[in-house]
Amino acid sequence: MNNNIHPLILLLLFPGGLFLLNAGLVYEWIDRKLVARFQNRIGPRWFQPLADTIKLLAKEEIIPAGVHKGLFITLPVVALTGALTAALYTPLFGFAPAFGFEGDLVVTLYLLSMMTLCMGLAGANTISRFSLIGATRALTQMFSYEAPFLLALLGPAMAAGTWEIGKINIFASENLWLILAQPIGFVVAVVGLMGKLELPPFDAPEAETEIVAGALTEYSGRGFALFRLGKNVELVVGLTLVTAFYLGGFSNPIMFLLKTAALFLVVAGLQSLFARLKIDQTVGLWWRVGALMALFQLLAIILGRYLGLLIQ
Amino acid sequence: MKSSTGEKFIVPIGPQHPALKEPGHFEFTVDGEIVTGASIRLGFVHRGIEKACESRNYTQNLYMLERVCGICSHVHATAFVIGVEKLAGIQAPPRAEAIRLLTSELERIHSHLLWLGVAAHEGGFDTLFMYTWRDREVVMDLLESLSGSRVHYSVNLIGGVKFDVDEKLADSIRKGMDFLEERTHYYMKIVTTDDTFVGRTRGVGRMTKEHAERLGAVGPTARASGVERDIRYNAPYSGYDQYPITLITDHAGDLEARFVVRIKELYDCYRLIRDVLEKMPAGDLTVRAKRKIPEGEVVSRVEAPRGELFYYIKSNGTENPDRVKVRTPSLCNWATVSDLAVGHKLADMPMLLVGIDPCFSCNDRLVQVNQTKTNSRLWSWDDLRRYGIEYYR
Repeated sequence: MNNNIHPLILLLLFPGGLFLLNAGLVYEWIDRKLVARFQNRIGPRWFQPLADTIKLLAKEEIIPAGVHKGLFITLPVVALTGALTAALYTPLFGFAPAFGFEGDLVVTLYLLSMMTLCMGLAGANTISRFSLIGATRALTQMFSYEAPFLLALLGPAMAAGTWEIGKINIFASENLWLILAQPIGFVVAVVGLMGKLELPPFDAPEAETEIVAGALTEYSGRGFALFRLGKNVELVVGLTLVTAFYLGGFSNPIMFLLKTAALFLVVAGLQSLFARLKIDQTVGLWWRVGALMALFQLLAIILGRYLGLLIQ
Repeated sequence: MKSSTGEKFIVPIGPQHPALKEPGHFEFTVDGEIVTGASIRLGFVHRGIEKACESRNYTQNLYMLERVCGICSHVHATAFVIGVEKLAGIQAPPRAEAIRLLTSELERIHSHLLWLGVAAHEGGFDTLFMYTWRDREVVMDLLESLSGSRVHYSVNLIGGVKFDVDEKLADSIRKGMDFLEERTHYYMKIVTTDDTFVGRTRGVGRMTKEHAERLGAVGPTARASGVERDIRYNAPYSGYDQYPITLITDHAGDLEARFVVRIKELYDCYRLIRDVLEKMPAGDLTVRAKRKIPEGEVVSRVEAPRGELFYYIKSNGTENPDRVKVRTPSLCNWATVSDLAVGHKLADMPMLLVGIDPCFSCNDRLVQVNQTKTNSRLWSWDDLRRYGIEYYR
């Protein structure tokens, strides 16, 4: 449905570029506000994320001694780029993805992982002790949630028999909501998304009471703003993907937003329910519970498909 | 984890760090995530209060010593006033003692709730932090309606107390206690059953009874290891013989036990406050005390929310004390932190630190002078400044 729009507009305004950045800011506000209300606080005003970003962008960026300058400046840009590019293949607000090809699901997931990789590199690049520990934890955490999260999103792909996000969505909107068909996969996907975004209780990589701001401790000004923006965009893309896959695929934007909002409520509730997990607890949880659950779901899907074929 | 030069990898916490809003400096040597060594450095907020006491009279000192701590201000004044009354040979009237006790128990509630919130925050459980601090407002309001102030209550006078408790206030205190008791049951449930929270506390920082006694731990930290040490119980003062407390101990000795002991103490506070309000004796609030205190020296001990608070007061027969020595409970408990830290994970450190309920400004009594040069000399301001910069480089 987007085929008649000029590609530059697609990239700069909708769904890429400006629109996506603003959506990220709005999503960040919703997240902060919801968690604040759950915690019996007032929470920020609606323009607070925007104000933070403008302020950070206007600040001087301090490049600490002992870092590789090029990497220090490039990494936030690459992280943001990865998240923005991933958005091009996702059905934002229920619209068909701007671009799509067979196998774009895998590309999108890898693009989403760029963020964590960049943060890990950014932490390892500096000589700050907090950053180094933060980087180690970020990468350790990535190795634990990534596989189950990937498996959880492969579930719908296998059910639909295609690796293209657009086609999976068509399948999801034509059939029973996949949350009912693959409930375990849904749980793993939501919790995996929280791990990916380092939201509490999976915020050990940036545990402020231990290691200040983790990998991003040395970042100030522009670099920090870009990382934050990247993370917000990733929040939008991640929530959209899970909603699209598990809550009924394409639909009109209002319905889609309502579904996303419901998912958001769950995510924010989970954020305020638990104490922070230690990094070894996170890894243990994912490999002992998460991975097994995802594998079990996968097995169920494969068996289901074979049984379906047998019946036919 | 070792740095490129082969040195040990040390994670500093403080004096400016988001984990600790108070100034203390800790260095944790880590191997990956495992802590292999810990060192503590205090003294960033030495204020010279003990010395300042010597140039003020006893009444002025009462207000000054309240400023030792912003959380348990009342116990400091109580410890001082009890000692001075003993020196002066006077006895506060029973009603005054009951009101002192009431205030110190209200203060204990506020202190323990505050600690519960801070400890939850250190464990990344901000929801519990926000909830406890909201409920703490109830007791803060009660303290304000009792004394007119939220932090430094100034309830004590030498020879009695300033404020009376009337029936209306007693009723609102009872109502407040009912509300808080209900909430505290809820917190007890969270602290002992929430899986993620228990995962951060159970088995962490386990300290045996012998260990606690050897390290000289005091207060809830020691009681969580089964040490029966509570001044209110061992050596009752200021009305605690009339209104006995229940000694609460736990034998687990880990962080969870410290949570449980403090929360159980909250229950006991509610019971005690109701008891005091029920049996409040009638009578005067003060007896007359002379400005000049007879010569002599005295040791006065009270139970602060963090443990045993110790005052030594020496009088030379004038209006000003000759010497006041304060030893706060936080100071006694530091050894447990540096001792228990080894072998734990870095993620446990903030909670272990906070587990003793440290109060930093209370600590800094002592100043150590390292005299490397024997001859004395005059230092100009510039010299001092340069020395300061060099010292911290």
